[in-house]
Amino acid sequence: MGRILIVDDTMFMRTLLKNILFSGGHDIVGEAADGAEALARYQELKPDLVTMDVVMPKVNGIEALKAIKAADPAAKVIMCTAVGQEQMVKLAVKSGARGYIVKPFQAPKVLEEVKSVLSA
Amino acid sequence: MFDEEGYRKLFVEESRENHENIVSNLLALESGDDQQTAIDEIFRSAHTLKGMSASMGFDAMEHLCHSMEDIFSLIRSGQREVTASLTDLLLTCTDTIEEMLDTIEAGGTPSDEQSGGLVQELRVFTEDAPGEAPVEAIPFEAAGTADGRPLYSLSVAVDPSSTMKDVRAMLLLQNLESIGTILSTTPSREAIEDGKFDGLFEVLIESEAGEDALRTVASGTEISLLALTAASSPAVLPVETREVRPHEAVQEPRVTKAEKNREIKNIRVDIERLDRMMNLVEDLVINRGRLEQIAKKHGIKEFDEALSMVGRSVSDLQNLMMGVRMMPLERIFNRLPRVVRDVANHDGKEVELVIEGGETELDRGMMDGLSDPLLHLIRNGVNHGIETPEIREACGKPRKGSLRLTARRDKDNVVIEIEDDGAGIDPERLRTKGIEKGLMTPDAAATATKDELINLLFEPGFSTAETITDISGRGVGLDVVKKTIESLKGTIKVDSSMGVGTKFELVLPPTMAIIDVMMVHINSMRCAIPISNVVEVAQTRPEAVHRIGTSETILLRDQILPMHRLEDMFGRAQKSDTLVVLQNNGRRCCIVVDTVDGQQEVVVKPLSRLAGNCRGISGITIPGDGDVVPVLDVNTMI
Repeated sequence: MGRILIVDDTMFMRTLLKNILFSGGHDIVGEAADGAEALARYQELKPDLVTMDVVMPKVNGIEALKAIKAADPAAKVIMCTAVGQEQMVKLAVKSGARGYIVKPFQAPKVLEEVKSVLSA
Repeated sequence: MFDEEGYRKLFVEESRENHENIVSNLLALESGDDQQTAIDEIFRSAHTLKGMSASMGFDAMEHLCHSMEDIFSLIRSGQREVTASLTDLLLTCTDTIEEMLDTIEAGGTPSDEQSGGLVQELRVFTEDAPGEAPVEAIPFEAAGTADGRPLYSLSVAVDPSSTMKDVRAMLLLQNLESIGTILSTTPSREAIEDGKFDGLFEVLIESEAGEDALRTVASGTEISLLALTAASSPAVLPVETREVRPHEAVQEPRVTKAEKNREIKNIRVDIERLDRMMNLVEDLVINRGRLEQIAKKHGIKEFDEALSMVGRSVSDLQNLMMGVRMMPLERIFNRLPRVVRDVANHDGKEVELVIEGGETELDRGMMDGLSDPLLHLIRNGVNHGIETPEIREACGKPRKGSLRLTARRDKDNVVIEIEDDGAGIDPERLRTKGIEKGLMTPDAAATATKDELINLLFEPGFSTAETITDISGRGVGLDVVKKTIESLKGTIKVDSSMGVGTKFELVLPPTMAIIDVMMVHINSMRCAIPISNVVEVAQTRPEAVHRIGTSETILLRDQILPMHRLEDMFGRAQKSDTLVVLQNNGRRCCIVVDTVDGQQEVVVKPLSRLAGNCRGISGITIPGDGDVVPVLDVNTMI
């Protein structure tokens, strides 16, 4: 079970994800609503895993991912994405994302991915 | 033979993909980034096209692709340089291939006449190769295995239900790389990363981590390891290299069982059918409104409940249909790099086109209309915006101009920006030009603000370029661009600073079919105003109305607004103390109405061609009671 930071610009999505992760026994240690906040929260909380939305205002998920990876190359980041964003996800994977989950979230898939990335 | 028609369709479809791949990589090659990948890609696509056209018996096309492939095999082995003239020739070849594909799609067979000359020209490039014969030597990637690290061959399947198989595969390959060196994959890594595989792939990896570690890594989410075998010698390697050998047998039957049984996840639907479905959904929306009104009259509880269920389904269906009709802007963005290249070459300019946000989606009905204006603005940017390299250097700018095309979703709108870092628009020149063309009196021009001057660009018959070039001046001016954008219910804005550049901003609704409107009564007639244009509803007193010349204005919250009574459309409003303040493109006016009835989501239907172009009306809508109500076109009013 891991300590997780959720990054998404909508509270709706954060809540949804929080409930799923919570049901899987994980600890939600923090939330961030954009990429800039994500980096700050990451450094402050040192979570085991980050779920990162791709499309966000100001600093988007890819840039935030890069910033987090630059600060901590061992960081485990999972991208939250949607059908149609394949290119962005590929970019994210090339930038060091460890996994991805697809909206609309399916709890078992989300938990499986989180577990697999945490244990890697 | 086989069922030719069925194959023909598939052939055209896949050939177009390969054709596009060649074009985009030729352009990439010229821009200088990652030459090797581009060369490999072109080679691969030319090879595929050759193979496919040979299988279909389209000899002319096969010969042409074969010649292109030959050239690229020389370029790959370093015996040829990619020169500008060669790129030009190759681009001409791609144009011909496109023509051939059009011919094939129309049911014909391409002829040697279409390609004969080109094949000859290409031969000139291949034949004056320096002495040595084309070498097939493909560097043996496995050279590093000499140190005797264990080799494994993995056979992996991505879960068919995975949403992004390619990404899943990429992640796996990346994880594998953390514990070993991947020597090759089948299909090639590029193909896998592009999603061009059927869910199954093989990896040859050199690793000291041991079988167990490999097994763990290779059984992640949505991934199952089908087989893991220790590969003894690098001799098993050249799985992948086979494909790149020129002149080899064209196509191998590669239909495996897995492929045959593959579930069909996507189907192609004719656009016309989608449009018909959309029309039906619109009718449903209208009739739902009618039912709701009937229900209100009778107040039967059971009926209301059933209706609300139906209503929800209709809403869901409507949203779904809108989603289905959405297409990523990439579809039209993809043609633009070629345009930029051609215009830049023609003008002797160096331009880099940066495209961002191609994944932003727009209704396909809008997409068709947007294509030409975009093309025009992009051409304009290169043609009139960006300076020649010499002038740029003299101004202390980099030789290469930059043209940025970005798209993004902003709340309810899609925003597209075209921005160049060129010379910018000179307001003084607009001033003189405006007087010259009779668009402004000298007095008006003398006091005109920068914004007013820049808006002259959108006036019919205005062109600031000294001479009309054959590329950007096709008799289409920015006025047409503006009209087209406005007909799509969008707005266009331009912002320019001298010496820094010019930016055009298009703001478009993602779809035109369903909008929120405010229903009002004017002279007892109903009329709908798009909510996006409504600023506020206000009350007024007769003494606040002032007459300036023939028009009326009103002082509202310290702002003077022109006031329209729309008498020519609806007759005079009976009471005239209710105003609706409208806004378009930052400018405001107000209209007088009898009553405001409320806000409603409606389906806007375009006016029939028979009705012609009715100024002031953008379409009609049919609310629940079955009435036909005009929708006000605020663009033309302000």
